[in-house]
Amino acid sequence: MIVFANGPVIPNFGGGGSTFACERANRLFCPNWVSQNWSSVLWPALRQHIVLTVIAVVIGFAISTALALLAYRRGWVERPVVIVTSILYTIPSLALFELLVGVPGLGLSRTTAEVALVSYTLLIMFRNTLTGLREVPAEVRDAAAGMGMGSMRTLLRVDLPLALPAIIAGVRIATVTVISLATVAALIDDEGLGAPILQAISNEVFKTELIVAGGMAIALALLADGLLVLLQRALTPWARVHQ
Amino acid sequence: MNSFSQALDFIGRNGQIPGEPQLPTLVHLTLETIKIAWIGVGIALVIALPIGLWLGHIHRGSFVAINVGNIWRALPSLAVLAIGVAFLGLGLRNVELALIVLAVPPVITNAYVAIDGVDRDVVDAARGMGFNGWQILRKVELPLGVPLIFAGIRTAALFVVSTTTIAALTGYSGSLGDIINNEASYHLSGVLGAAMCIAALALLTDLLLALIQRVLTPRGVSLEKHPARTEAIGPPLAENV
Amino acid sequence: MKRKFIFGIVAAVLGLAVAACGSSSSTNTATHQKTQASQKSAGASKPAITIGDKNFPEEYILGSLYQQALQARGYHVTLKGNIGSSEITYKALTSGQIQMYPEYTGVIVSVLAGNTKPPHSASQTYTEAQAYVQKHGFTLLKPTPFYDTDAMGTLKSYATKHHLHTISDLKALGHSVTLGGAPEFATRYEGLIGLKKVYGVNPTFKPLAIALTYKALDSNQVQVADVFTTDPQLTLGKYTILSDPKNVFGFQNVAPIVKKSLIKSEGPVFEQTLNKVSALLTLDAIRKMNAAVELDKQSPSAVAHDFLKANHLT
Repeated sequence: MIVFANGPVIPNFGGGGSTFACERANRLFCPNWVSQNWSSVLWPALRQHIVLTVIAVVIGFAISTALALLAYRRGWVERPVVIVTSILYTIPSLALFELLVGVPGLGLSRTTAEVALVSYTLLIMFRNTLTGLREVPAEVRDAAAGMGMGSMRTLLRVDLPLALPAIIAGVRIATVTVISLATVAALIDDEGLGAPILQAISNEVFKTELIVAGGMAIALALLADGLLVLLQRALTPWARVHQ
Repeated sequence: MNSFSQALDFIGRNGQIPGEPQLPTLVHLTLETIKIAWIGVGIALVIALPIGLWLGHIHRGSFVAINVGNIWRALPSLAVLAIGVAFLGLGLRNVELALIVLAVPPVITNAYVAIDGVDRDVVDAARGMGFNGWQILRKVELPLGVPLIFAGIRTAALFVVSTTTIAALTGYSGSLGDIINNEASYHLSGVLGAAMCIAALALLTDLLLALIQRVLTPRGVSLEKHPARTEAIGPPLAENV
Repeated sequence: MKRKFIFGIVAAVLGLAVAACGSSSSTNTATHQKTQASQKSAGASKPAITIGDKNFPEEYILGSLYQQALQARGYHVTLKGNIGSSEITYKALTSGQIQMYPEYTGVIVSVLAGNTKPPHSASQTYTEAQAYVQKHGFTLLKPTPFYDTDAMGTLKSYATKHHLHTISDLKALGHSVTLGGAPEFATRYEGLIGLKKVYGVNPTFKPLAIALTYKALDSNQVQVADVFTTDPQLTLGKYTILSDPKNVFGFQNVAPIVKKSLIKSEGPVFEQTLNKVSALLTLDAIRKMNAAVELDKQSPSAVAHDFLKANHLT
C-alpha cells in the first residue's frame, strides 16, 4: 500500500459547501438531507423502533396474561404482582435503563432495553386483563356452567372473549407507552428513533433531524394507537367500546 | 444491598462526591425540578381547566375533548421535547412548553368527562330550584366532579415530574435528570440516589394532591365504582416516561 | 369466522416481526463494501469483532473509519456507536461488550489511569498510556498524527474586552465568569480540578451537552466553554482559544485500545489496517471531516467512506 509522503488525500466530502447551504443555516427542514439519509439513518431507526416495540409488547403480554390468569384463579396473587409492577412503573425510565446497564450479564445491549421496556408494560396489561376477566357478569358464567361447560372451556369460550375489550385496551396503552420509552432506550442501545434524536442534539442541535425523527416517533405512536383501536372494534363487534 | 446503602449515603451527602469540587447540591436540584414541574403544571391548569370545565358544562365538544386525551397518551415525550428544541432551542422556555403540551390533555379530558357526566337529574333539580348556569357549575357540577378532575390533575402532575428528568437529555441542565444522565461522574450510587429522589418526589406530589382532593371533596360525594368514570385517562399512577 | 381470520393475520404479523428481530441486528454496517477481490479474504475467516465509539462526532467518524477499513479487508465488524463518555466506554471495553475503541492518550493517563502528575510530552503521554492499558490486558496501537485537546474557548469579542490570552488570565474574573462543559468536566483533572489546581481559576460551572457549547457561548449563557482544538467552528473566525502553557489539558493523540488477545486471533492484517488508517489522520484531515459532519450534517459513515475511498483503503 502506498502511503503518500505529503499527507492523505482529502476529498471534497459530498460536494462541498454550497450543496449544504440549508444544513449550514440549520433551517427547520432540509429535504435534501432527508433524502440523503433516509436509507442509512432514518429508515433503519424506524425499523429498529418497531422491532423493539413488538418484542417488548409480545413478551409483556405473555407474562402479564399468565399472571392475570393466575390471579383470576387465586386472588392472593394480585396484591404482590401489583406492588412489584407498580414499583417498576414508578422508576423514571432514564434511571431504570442506567441501573440495568450495571447488572452483570446485561450492559449496553438490546436485551437490557427490552428488559426495561417489558417491565413498563406489565402493570397496565396485568390490571386491564384481570379487570376484564372479573367484569364478566356472573349470570353469563352461571349460564355456561348450566350448559355443562367445565372451567377451562368457560375460560376460553366465555371469559376471555368477553374480556377482550379490556385486554386490547391494555395492549393499546402498553404499546404506545413502549413506543415512547423506546426513544429513551437509545441512550443505552444505539437503536430506534431515539438514536437520531440524541445524535442531533449531541451535534449542534440539528433541527431537521430532530423534527423528522421526532415527527416519525409521534406518527408511529398515533398509527399504532389507531390500528389497535380498529383491531379492538373488529374483534368485538358486540361490545360497546368505552374507555 | 450494597449499592442501595451507597445511594442512601449519596443522598445523605446532599449529592456531593468526596474529593471532588462543589457540585450542585441534591437539595438545589430537587428544588429546581419541583420548580420546573410546577410552573408547567400551573400553566397547564390555567389553560386546560377552564376549557375542559366549560365544554363539559355546555355538553359540547366531546369528540375533541376525548380524542385530545387519546392522542396525548400516545405522544412520545422525548420526541415532543426534541421538536421543542428544534423550534425554541435550548432553555427553560422550551422545556416548559413541552411539559405544558404534555400536561394539558389529561386535565382537559378529565375535566370534560367530570362535568359532562354529572347526573342530569341532579342538574335538572338544581335548575328547577332556580339556579342559573353559573351557579349550577359552581355549586353542583364542580363539587360532584372533583374526583375525576383531580384524577386528571394527578396524572398530569406525575407525568410532568417524571418527564423533567428527560429534559436533561435535551441539553437542559438544572434538574435531577443531570445526575441520572451523568453516570460517569456520579457513578451508580448517584444515579440510584437521584432515581430514588425522583420516585419519592412523584409519590409525595401524588399524596399532596390526594390530600387537596380530600379537602375539596364535599361530604356525601362518594367515588362511584364505575371503571369508565374513575379512569377516563389511564390509572392515576406515575404515567411516567 | 371473521374474527378468527383477523386473529390469524395478527398472529402472522407478530410472528414475522419476532422472526425479523433475529435478522435485524444492532449493527451500523456501512452500506458500501467495494474492495479488491484479493484483499477481501484477509479477515473473512477470522472471528467477528465489536468496536465502539464515544459520544461525539469526531469519535463517530473514527469508529466508522476503522470499521469500514477493516470490513474492506473482509473482517466482520459490528460498531456500537455513541456509547457515552470515556468512563462509560472504557467500562464497556473492560466488561467485554466491545473489544476495541479509539481513545485519546491524555484521557487514558489522567482519567482512566488517574495519574495526577501530568506528562510533559506527547510521547511520554503515549508511553504512560500504553503502560496502563497493558496492565489490564489491552494494547495501544500506533497513534494518529492529529491531537485533539480540550481548550478554553471564548467569543473573540469577550476575550478582547477582558484582555484574555492565556488561561491564567481567567483567574482575575473569579466566580463572575461562567464556564460551560460536559458534566464530566467538573470531576476531571483535565477539567475544573486542574484549572483550579494549576491556574487558580475558579469559575462558576454550568454543565452543557457537548456541542451545544457554541450556542451557549453565542447566547452568553456561558462566557468560557470547554471546546476541542479540532472543532470546525474554530475555523469560522468568531471564537478564540486561550493558551495552556502548563499543559493542563495534556496531549491527546488518538490510538485504538485493543484487547491483546485480538491481535493474535485476528492476524497481522488487522493491526496493519488500523495503523494505516491512523497514519492518514492529520489535523487538516480530521478538521475537514469534522466540518463535513458537524456543519454540513453529513453522516459520519458517508464521510468516512469518502475519505477511505480517496485513499484507496476501501
